[in-house]
Amino acid sequence: MFNRLIVALLLLSAVAVAQEDWIRTGTGLGVEKVRIAVPDFKPTSTEPANAELLRTFNETLFSDLNYAGIFDVVSKSFYPLQTPGFPQEINLDAWGSPPPSASMVAFGNLGKQGDSLQVQGFLFDVKNAASPQVLGKQYREPATTDNARLIAHRFANEIILRLGGGINGIAESKIVFISTRSGAKEVWMMDYDGAGQRQLTSLRSISLSPRLSPDGTRVAFTSFVRGTSDVSMYSLELNRMVTFPRFGGTNVSPAWSPDGKQLAFSSSMRGDPEIFISDANGTDTKRITAFKGSDVSPVFNPKTGSQIAFVSGRTGLPQIYIMEVDGTNLQRLTDTGYAVSPSWSPNGQFLTFAWRRNYGPGAPGGQDIYIMDIANRKWVQLTHGSGINDYPSWAPDGRHIVFESTRGGSTQIWSMLADGSQQRQLTAAGKNQQPNWSFR
Amino acid sequence: MSAATIYDHQESWKGPIAASAILHGALFLGAVLTGMLGAGHGESWGGSTAGESAMNATLVSAAVPLPATNAEKENVLANESKGLAESTPAEKTPEPEAIPIPDKTTKLKPEKLPRTPTTEKTKTPPPPSNQVPFGQGGPVSGAYTMFKSTTGTGGMTFGPAGSFGSRYSWYVDTVRRKVSENWLKYEVDPSIGSASRVYLTFDIQRDGTPTNIQISQGSGVPSLDMSAKRALQRIDTFGPLPPDYAGSRVSVEFWFDYKK
Amino acid sequence: MNRTTSRSQFPAWLLLALMIVITGCAKKQPPPPQAPPPPPPAPTASISASPNNIEKGQQTQLSWRTDNATDVSIEGIGAVQPIGSQMVTPEQSTSYRLVAKGPGGQQDATARVTVTQAAPPPVTEQPVTQTDEQWFSQNVRDVYFDYDAAAIRPDAQQAITAAAQALAQKPSFKIMVEGHCDERGSTEYNLALGDERARAVQNALVAAGVNASRIKTTSFGKEKPACTESNESCWQQNRRGHFVLTGK
Repeated sequence: MFNRLIVALLLLSAVAVAQEDWIRTGTGLGVEKVRIAVPDFKPTSTEPANAELLRTFNETLFSDLNYAGIFDVVSKSFYPLQTPGFPQEINLDAWGSPPPSASMVAFGNLGKQGDSLQVQGFLFDVKNAASPQVLGKQYREPATTDNARLIAHRFANEIILRLGGGINGIAESKIVFISTRSGAKEVWMMDYDGAGQRQLTSLRSISLSPRLSPDGTRVAFTSFVRGTSDVSMYSLELNRMVTFPRFGGTNVSPAWSPDGKQLAFSSSMRGDPEIFISDANGTDTKRITAFKGSDVSPVFNPKTGSQIAFVSGRTGLPQIYIMEVDGTNLQRLTDTGYAVSPSWSPNGQFLTFAWRRNYGPGAPGGQDIYIMDIANRKWVQLTHGSGINDYPSWAPDGRHIVFESTRGGSTQIWSMLADGSQQRQLTAAGKNQQPNWSFR
Repeated sequence: MSAATIYDHQESWKGPIAASAILHGALFLGAVLTGMLGAGHGESWGGSTAGESAMNATLVSAAVPLPATNAEKENVLANESKGLAESTPAEKTPEPEAIPIPDKTTKLKPEKLPRTPTTEKTKTPPPPSNQVPFGQGGPVSGAYTMFKSTTGTGGMTFGPAGSFGSRYSWYVDTVRRKVSENWLKYEVDPSIGSASRVYLTFDIQRDGTPTNIQISQGSGVPSLDMSAKRALQRIDTFGPLPPDYAGSRVSVEFWFDYKK
Repeated sequence: MNRTTSRSQFPAWLLLALMIVITGCAKKQPPPPQAPPPPPPAPTASISASPNNIEKGQQTQLSWRTDNATDVSIEGIGAVQPIGSQMVTPEQSTSYRLVAKGPGGQQDATARVTVTQAAPPPVTEQPVTQTDEQWFSQNVRDVYFDYDAAAIRPDAQQAITAAAQALAQKPSFKIMVEGHCDERGSTEYNLALGDERARAVQNALVAAGVNASRIKTTSFGKEKPACTESNESCWQQNRRGHFVLTGK
């Protein structure tokens, strides 16, 4: 019996030892961005149509990784002359040495075989000659330019997920927004990088403040199609409007709870504009603010679903507040200027909003996008006096923000990293405003 | 600020360290000189597109999941009471950025070029030496260099080749990055200038979630120990463990070096 | 061109004589006299204008008829068909003279068109809806607001009092008050501010005696500006409560 015990203990300890690998590391050893090289993929087909698909794929992949916010993508001018397409073709030394000095290489091959597009993608750790492969993926879709883009987005997302500490990439995410380019303000949708802009509604009225549902199937927005402003609902699955109850007064700025079961919006159905919560189909409305002064632009904490940030003019100019979903524990976050359009970060810790800290005719400074740490109220300014900036919306990776800006002369949609860098314009036709990033 | 650390384990690194120290000292001097001579700065800090101002926002706290390219940013903000209760003028915002940025950037650029001679021992990317600019010079990259010059397989762990760290050095980098991003140094008592290292241990499950977070060796400064633990608690996941790793979890010993 | 030199006189006399003789010879045999052909019928012409009394700017129709004419014209118009009609729009009183020429002679006729100044607007009633809307927009006028405010200022109060009195004269009229904002400020907050403005006007109307059930409110924020310049005068025009007649 005693022997058996010893054996059992030994076995246990052996198992325990075998299962416990140790990592020892610490601060101060470098938190730099991953230096990744993204050479063009190698074509495996000589069909003339392949060139176009390959080009779209390469551009999309490079752009996705460049814009991910976590990589230092090595410039193509530093790449060695090889174009590896398969694992046995890559010479890690050449990629790891200067001038590229990369830590990671994403490479692969792409070819149109008949009607389908076949892509193999690899991610190699340059420093690990013994077992360099971090990722090996295979994709096969009907051969269209859109699918070349789609596969590139998917592969980029895999890389971002793997090297970015478990946060999903946004390469397949969408942005809904308002555009005037068809002649009236309608709800439109586009890819996160501005590709594929398409019109959703054709109401020929005024549409405002679109918001995608968490499951991506519906867009809630404000519509004037019946003469006064109503919360309205568009179904992306049915490609048409679906019914939503009308309330009296001015009903604006709908926002989704993270479980998709509730909407918060502002309504003056009972007097002055207050924040209401209803079910996702507009029933069971409950008022949760009750203070004289416009309350508008509610948004749920996407991490917990139990708090709402909103804008209130109860003290005069609009300021940002947060409260529990039952209206308790009201806290004021800004105490000066004109603060509007809050959006909550996916991790629940930050708000981004538009702020004019010095307000009034002739006051210095403009209206810019800020982020604020809710726990300690510290804020950072992200845009600096270029045009009027408004309506920021946080991306699901917590790393990007999309917003509207008049800096080019007309109101357009821009996106940037959540530290204010890499600001880029996404729209150009007509006037475009009020972007909202999908939940995924 | 985070200080560099040297592993003292297994082979003697004295030779390579000394060489590296000398070279990095030279680099540091070169960087400082370049800085004083006014090498351009600000370009690499984002905002390079669309004519945006070169002034990059420093993060309020590193809990926005973007790599904080230098931890010093956190400190600066922690000291700047940008909170609304205080009446600090808005102009404070440019100030803190103005100070660290020239240091960082000017050192970034020259670092990359002279890297060439040192990398004959290593085939590494230059960036880790970013940490050197905190005025220390020397051994941080010593660790990196050493790590490079073992078998060339990389990995931050001790132990035989083939262990987790040597096989999945990229995952180790991710862990390190994520913890550093989430470490809010302004949670530490501001009167503390420097402290000895605090060691934390935790496990990472298959799905990447950290569990069993413990302080295995305290620094003697309670607020520092707490800030380290909170850093871990902020993290939902490091990302799933590599699919071809056979184990069900991996254990991590992580140290925090605090220097203001 | 008589050359009257003595030298050329002799040949000239000779030439003359010859010419007389020759022509005389040519005319030696005049044709036998015929009965003259019957004279062609004289043309007839008549013209009329209908109506012949018009207001300036109106048209009238000229109608004419001719017989036995080959060349017909109307003064001021030109050549026309022997029979025809045409619309004309004389600026002032005109006589249209028709001239018909034919082998039998010429005949003319005149039609006179008298053009008077525009008549005064007819006193007859316009259709009811048009009058109501016109009356409404003249008597129930926009109310203006200060920047970022929904408070009723003195000039706004006067406009509201006048509106209330007007509405008292038309007890069946129902109205909508629209709140509007200028282009500055954020889209969503302006929708709320416009709503506040509309309700402030509504409350003031009720205080001035208008039954609340006659008034509805809505807000367009900054979405329907009255003007689009970026200056204070236009912004002030946009910061308004606007009334719409919705029922009678």
